[in-house]
Amino acid sequence: MPDVLTTPAYRWVGHNPPRKESLEKVTGSAKYLDDLKFEGCLHGKTVRSTVPHGRIKKISFEPGVPWDEFTVVTARDIPGKNVVSLIELDQPFLADGLVRHMAEPVVLLAHPDKGMAEKAVKRVHIEYEELPAILTIEESLAGGNIQYGKDNIFKKYHIQKGDPESVWPKADVVIEGEYWTGPQEQLYIEPQGVVAVASPTGGVTVWGSMQCPFYVHKGLKPLFNLPDDRVRVIYTVTGGGFGGKEEYPTLPAGHAALLSWKAGGRPVKIVYDRMEDMWATTKRHPCKTRVKAAFTKDGKLLALKVDATMDGGAYVTLSTVVLSRGTLHAFGPYACDHVVIDTRAVFTNSPPYGAFRGFGAPQTIFPLELHLHRAACELGIEPHELRRRNLLHQGDRMATGQVMQEETGLEGLMWKAMDESKYLEKTKAYREHNRSSTRIKKGVALALFFHGAGFTGSGEVFLDSKAGLELTRDGAVRILSANTEIGQGSFTTHSQIVAEELRIPYEMVEVAVPDTAVVPNSGPTVASRTCMVVGELLRRAASDLKEVLVKSGALAGNGHTPSEFRAAAGKYLQRFGELKVYSKYKPPPDVSWDDKTYTGSAYAAYAWACYVADLEIDMATYQAQMKDFVAVQEVGRVIHPVIAAGQIEGGVAQAIGWALYEDVALKQGVMQNCQLTNYILPTTADTPPIRVFFYENPYQNGPFGAKGLGELPMDGPAPAIAAAVAFALGDRIIPRIPILPETILDAIS
Amino acid sequence: MDLLDLMKSSIRAPGRLVNLLTIDELKGIDVDTSGATIGALATLAEIADHPDLARMFPALALAAGHAATPQVRNVATIGGNILQRPRCWYFRMAQYPCLKKGGDTCFAMDGENKYHAIFENSLCAMVHPSNTAVALLALDAVVRTAGSGEIPIRKFFVTPDQDILRESALAEGELVTQLFIPATGARSHYLEFRERQSFDWALVSAAAAAELEGQTLNNARVVLGSVAPIPWRIDLGEIAATDEALDRAADEAVRGATPLAKNKYKVQLARTAIRRSLRELARATE
Ligand SMILES: Cc1cc2nc3c(=O)[nH]c(=O)nc-3n(C[C@H](O)[C@H](O)[C@H](O)COP(=O)(O)OP(=O)(O)OC[C@H]3O[C@@H](n4cnc5c(N)ncnc54)[C@H](O)[C@@H]3O)c2cc1C
Ligand code: SF4
Repeated sequence: MPDVLTTPAYRWVGHNPPRKESLEKVTGSAKYLDDLKFEGCLHGKTVRSTVPHGRIKKISFEPGVPWDEFTVVTARDIPGKNVVSLIELDQPFLADGLVRHMAEPVVLLAHPDKGMAEKAVKRVHIEYEELPAILTIEESLAGGNIQYGKDNIFKKYHIQKGDPESVWPKADVVIEGEYWTGPQEQLYIEPQGVVAVASPTGGVTVWGSMQCPFYVHKGLKPLFNLPDDRVRVIYTVTGGGFGGKEEYPTLPAGHAALLSWKAGGRPVKIVYDRMEDMWATTKRHPCKTRVKAAFTKDGKLLALKVDATMDGGAYVTLSTVVLSRGTLHAFGPYACDHVVIDTRAVFTNSPPYGAFRGFGAPQTIFPLELHLHRAACELGIEPHELRRRNLLHQGDRMATGQVMQEETGLEGLMWKAMDESKYLEKTKAYREHNRSSTRIKKGVALALFFHGAGFTGSGEVFLDSKAGLELTRDGAVRILSANTEIGQGSFTTHSQIVAEELRIPYEMVEVAVPDTAVVPNSGPTVASRTCMVVGELLRRAASDLKEVLVKSGALAGNGHTPSEFRAAAGKYLQRFGELKVYSKYKPPPDVSWDDKTYTGSAYAAYAWACYVADLEIDMATYQAQMKDFVAVQEVGRVIHPVIAAGQIEGGVAQAIGWALYEDVALKQGVMQNCQLTNYILPTTADTPPIRVFFYENPYQNGPFGAKGLGELPMDGPAPAIAAAVAFALGDRIIPRIPILPETILDAIS
Repeated sequence: MDLLDLMKSSIRAPGRLVNLLTIDELKGIDVDTSGATIGALATLAEIADHPDLARMFPALALAAGHAATPQVRNVATIGGNILQRPRCWYFRMAQYPCLKKGGDTCFAMDGENKYHAIFENSLCAMVHPSNTAVALLALDAVVRTAGSGEIPIRKFFVTPDQDILRESALAEGELVTQLFIPATGARSHYLEFRERQSFDWALVSAAAAAELEGQTLNNARVVLGSVAPIPWRIDLGEIAATDEALDRAADEAVRGATPLAKNKYKVQLARTAIRRSLRELARATE
């Protein structure tokens, strides 16, 4: 059980009721997409490009295959627009004439026999006229080969506070460094999967493993030129997402629907196997960052300059918003008068990089935190003390101009983390140990960081989310929201919030299946927003629902038992037929954001944290092995401590993978090691005890004080681990992750 | 299991499969004073947990116990283990028709060769993936087959130069029935380095064996795994059980290594594996 450092005064919030979906999952009765049976179902397969950039000269179908039994779709068969509607309209559902990355979908096949469909993929031959490809950030920016806009740049951001240029000459110490974070595969357990039934008469219905049914809905309408109500998207039990099922499912959903459309409305199922999933789908954006920082002799941060470039891949997809979040986390929880942040996302002929837990923030937090560790070493100040001297406090201004309205509490979090990890004792003992031992070197280090909850800037206003509740026939309450349960526990925490507000038992709250024909668009299940933003919408809906019942006279205004509530609901339904109550997003007061200057309140709420990593390096094998991990954070009210701690532990483990193990080997822009036997993911035997501690500083605009926490744990571990490696190696910084044994070997030899 | 994996990734498409699991004669482990007789169908878990094997042939028990995951070890047979095909990524992906699959290039030579061979790697740089093969070679085992009778393990594995399409001397359709390990009184040890602590093949492994006399290791040999297309045996003969002598032997053993662009680190691992496995034998003398 995690430590939560306040006493919850609620009946449901702060407690650990059983998860809404746990019985089905534990007993194996939960139906994932591939478990669903459809009469007369065809199996869909995708023929993908095998060059990173080229013109399609010819598509031929090898003789000897009974092609008349197959449904075959190419770009020419698309009834509407061949474009995935997301931020920009640049990505086609099927390459038409030109392929811009390896593994790009070109031809779709469907057959009643799955084996036949699989075999036929290799019998479709696509000839290309190969064109020069851009495979690195450097090549993209070099300018010779322009494939997007006039400079290959998808998006740029600039944040400026004060004037760092005026500071460099005056500062006691100026430290510069360049850092690299590699791509990472989301590796949800259940691969991408969808079933579609589509026809001109019946419209389009899609079932699928996904985070955001309304993204898919939005993507499919133009593909078939259909209005809102002719496209229906239904969530099925989803085995993990981590961002990998945020924007990507629109593609396979469109593919299955195109095949079904052509096959006269027969259901078509597309389920990727692991190799196809790893080969073709999105990954975390790789990022190269330069950091320059000026300090006084005693460690006061005078100026900070960060310049980060992300590889976006061949289509814009979500790169602009991933970059935005990266930009807004690049300056960290520090007070500094002179800051400039420049970032850009660039085109390359790689499969598009996409959403992944943390959404750009881990990529910029890593360089900053590791740079501060480096600075501490160079200045001869303890790393925690350097942080302490520069922490952001109440009343301070962030680089965006946002004034901290409340105390961040970061210093307390830091002391708690140091205390729990015995940081001070360990730094002393490890230094001593490392002086005498040549075989094993030990390291311990920390990182401080924040994560903004909800969409960036005015994002939540544009989303204009709506969520609701309805009374059921047997007097219970059903949640109507498009937010999906992807293992993070959202059905449970939402139910707790509603039960608390209505003062009814948790068991009396149900959750409607996120189905675009049934639930309102409460926005995507991303950005640590589901509990905080949608949870608050549901809390308000619950409060309104109670008021309606009271006003109608069905419910007494001064408290009720569960059976009184049930009776009141029954009475109301008898009289009025139904009760559905919706609430819409309202931005919190005093929160404003200017998209042009990138100033204002980037996020309404921040979660704050300090993490400590403890590890050993075997100096003969150069293997870094985690020994202990302490994660202390302030996330507002913790709605469900067990689920919350699970999120933190899982995120830390995932970040350990990013920092020490997971190496996406790219060739021609695409992953080579797309098997679980060669993409090395840490197992439970590789992860240390992860000790989780929560502080609660209730946030006034979150439900019962909750903020978001799902992405936070992805941010801090990598810089803490890299700094601990530096500690172990006698202050030698390895500025890139993953830090593999051969990376360490290279660094020291 | 390896066979199914190869079928799933369209590397092999056998027209007919024979289920060996119903043949009781291929099962079981028998240990007596002459040595250990291990049925080809004995699982890695059975071997790892067998008290007599652990006592007399610790290298084999350790090698079996370190492989893969508990689930895999419960079903993986030793016959299948020594006959598993290369893990080379190019070999495992249908879209790369490499030398080993009858093609005309080795994609690993200037491609992803981090996990590849540092010895005997001029033609095909695959590494033999079997843990138990390493131990069996150090223990001078004999492979008994239903065809040619007995094949000493030293002759069982073949290099790409000998036959690019196969890794063993087994004839087409020949069945492994048993493995026999003679009891010699030699001490043995096995260790391996890998990227993660479970669910993984070794980066480099080593099985060492020797007879002990005072402070001397007699008939000392180390077999390295994952460094060459076959388990790589190094005979050291008589050697003093001192750190300096063992370190010297380890340095000497890797002198001839020819690492590729991305696997220089393996030389260092191999040296360490030799040193540590021999030291472990020496430690047993104290
Ligand atoms: C995740 C993972 C990790 C792994 N890690 C390791 C590891 O660290 N170390 C290691 O050594 N192995 C490892 N393995 C491999 C695993 O141990 C082998 O796949 C397993 O031993 C094969 O055994 P099997 O009985 O399933 O063989 P099968 O797949 O049934 O057989 C393999 C081949 O041998 C042939 N064959 C089998 N038995 C006989 C016989 N009696 N006579 C003639 N031919 C025969 C088959 O026809 C086939 O061609 C790992 C596997 C996985 C999936
Ligand atoms: S190392 Fe061997 S198996 Fe791998 S690509 Fe080269 S020839 Fe094929």
